[in-house]
Amino acid sequence: MYRSKRGRLVGFAYLAPALAFVLVFTVYPLGQMMWMSLHNWSLLTPPVWVGFDNYERVFGDRQFWVSFLFTLKYTALITPVLIVGGYLLALLTAHNSPLRKVTRTVVFVPVVIGLGVSSLLWYWLFSADFGLVNRVLMDLGLVSGPVLWLGVDADMSNLAISTSVVWKVIGFGMILFVGAIQAVPTEITEATMVDGASHRQRVTRVILPLTLRTVLLVTLLSVIGSLLAFDQFYIMTAGQPQNETATSVFYVYLNSFPYLKLGYGAALSMVLAVTILAFTVVQLLLARRSEV
Amino acid sequence: MWERSGGNKQMVDMLVEAWNVKNPDCRIKLTYIPHTEMVGKIAQGIASGEVPDLMGMDLIYAPQFEKAQQLVDLTDRIKEWPELKTASKGHMTVATYEDRLYGVPLYADVSALFYNKDLFTKAGLDPDKPPTSLTELRQYADKITALGGDVKGYYLPGNCAGCNIFTVGPLMWASGATIEAKAKGDEPLVGDGVKQVLQFARDMVQAGNVHSGDRTENGETFHLQFGSGKVGMMGTGNFNITLARQQNPGMKFGIALLPGMAPNSSASFIGGDLVVVPRGSERVADAVNVMKFLLSDEVQVEVYAKALNLTTRTDMVDNKYFQAEPLVQDVAKALEVGRTPYTLTFFEQINSPQGPWLKMLQRAYYTDDDLDTVIADAKKAMKDIAGQS
Repeated sequence: MYRSKRGRLVGFAYLAPALAFVLVFTVYPLGQMMWMSLHNWSLLTPPVWVGFDNYERVFGDRQFWVSFLFTLKYTALITPVLIVGGYLLALLTAHNSPLRKVTRTVVFVPVVIGLGVSSLLWYWLFSADFGLVNRVLMDLGLVSGPVLWLGVDADMSNLAISTSVVWKVIGFGMILFVGAIQAVPTEITEATMVDGASHRQRVTRVILPLTLRTVLLVTLLSVIGSLLAFDQFYIMTAGQPQNETATSVFYVYLNSFPYLKLGYGAALSMVLAVTILAFTVVQLLLARRSEV
Repeated sequence: MWERSGGNKQMVDMLVEAWNVKNPDCRIKLTYIPHTEMVGKIAQGIASGEVPDLMGMDLIYAPQFEKAQQLVDLTDRIKEWPELKTASKGHMTVATYEDRLYGVPLYADVSALFYNKDLFTKAGLDPDKPPTSLTELRQYADKITALGGDVKGYYLPGNCAGCNIFTVGPLMWASGATIEAKAKGDEPLVGDGVKQVLQFARDMVQAGNVHSGDRTENGETFHLQFGSGKVGMMGTGNFNITLARQQNPGMKFGIALLPGMAPNSSASFIGGDLVVVPRGSERVADAVNVMKFLLSDEVQVEVYAKALNLTTRTDMVDNKYFQAEPLVQDVAKALEVGRTPYTLTFFEQINSPQGPWLKMLQRAYYTDDDLDTVIADAKKAMKDIAGQS
């Protein structure tokens, strides 16, 4: 431990680059956003101080709460699929045989595609007039007419978009899980086999507990990513039907840029940021408890 | 110069190239900004003081920037130009704020009724007689839909606010109604035409005259619908002429004006871009020269018309290139009956996917809600938005 003044200075010097990065790219923008949220500002005219008026408006803004609840619903739908699906895929492909490596690659490839591109791709696949999904379903005789996947029913839209996002990102969780599973010492798994544990018992009682930190990490990333969902809904439903699939970030975007209400958009962002922070803290606390 | 990216890129490139060839010592360096980011980008440029010398701007947003005094007042420099007397009136309406002039047309997009002559013939309709009222349009649509298969008589973009103001808005205007609240205290959605058109559209949907998939149209596949050959009639824009030909070379089609309730009533939405000078531009005189160049007879004919783009002056419509291409001539008639909404809150009232305009249309098209209630709700929301401006 550095106790001398020189030692503290050296420690600070090591810390300085990271601290500067955080100050410039996190603390300053957050401060700026806080300042903006206390003003009415269209960018075209000088900002006008309005105190906490924007925050009062947020709490009385019905659309914000519709968007917020829908975002939570989307998060609740997609997160378990990504975690369970990613883990199952990882269990299937964790061992390094050529076929499993190829499978891992195939599942991972969509991760490197941009979310905007993948959303556009799926928009066309789900298109009622030109889409492959409806064509296949109709050719197989499963439906008599095209299914209106997007923008007509909120739950159907949520399901269709979640499907596209699962295709896009499940490989990311899988790769993290594969790394965690491969890090489980072979002596332990071999010992359980010698003790006569079945495969299911090995997974549930040995591998899963030893990879729990990764499960929590992937959950955290998935929850944060889902609470910040924007591109897929902007492209695939534009918030329809009747704004029921407009996510929180979509609503922030609309207010900040097309509507040019930067102050109100900043206030919405602050509320969203605090919510995400609360989720993160809860998850980190859970993670800490699981380590005890 | 900044310009938004989009379907008119090719034409703007040609205009800039024509200027650069004639003015090698004063070349335009053109930068495209993604269409959806243009307003934010301009606003950011203004806030940071980094603006281009001139820019193309979606005409619908011009009043907002004019009111904020972020565009250079060009009145004293251009008001005497004779070309302005015939410049697209929709463009000039939004280029004017409190009797001051801030820009001139860069290009025009107008809406019109495209109709499939092949389907007209099959349905026993005269392919040279497009509908002249909404009553006729409904009758024709019924006959075309009766052909069966994948074919439907009409098209309604159910999830696209912009497509609807472009193609359904004119049906209301032609029926004597107004749509947007122009400013605080102004009454939106005035006139019987609003309810009549909503009823017409609801009846079309309920009669099965539109494809069920139209309901999901958010604008992404709008431009492909007419060329599919499965739609008898559809409100769309001049850009669809070339596109439909590329998509379906064998298809014969015609263009008429979008009708209203009364026989021979018509209207059109004039969209497109203005060319304006942002406050802070260091080359206002050069920018004004570019405007003069764009409105000149030679550029109107040899650049706009030659490439079969609409001229931005109505007196230039009668030219050798359009004479050889009757469809462009037909669509150009829309410039004379067209209009452009004027409001400082166009995006929030009309164009936003979360705005009251689209919400009203969706309730009219796809629910059985009482139309008076639907209109009253939209009126209130539009007035609230205009009241905040």
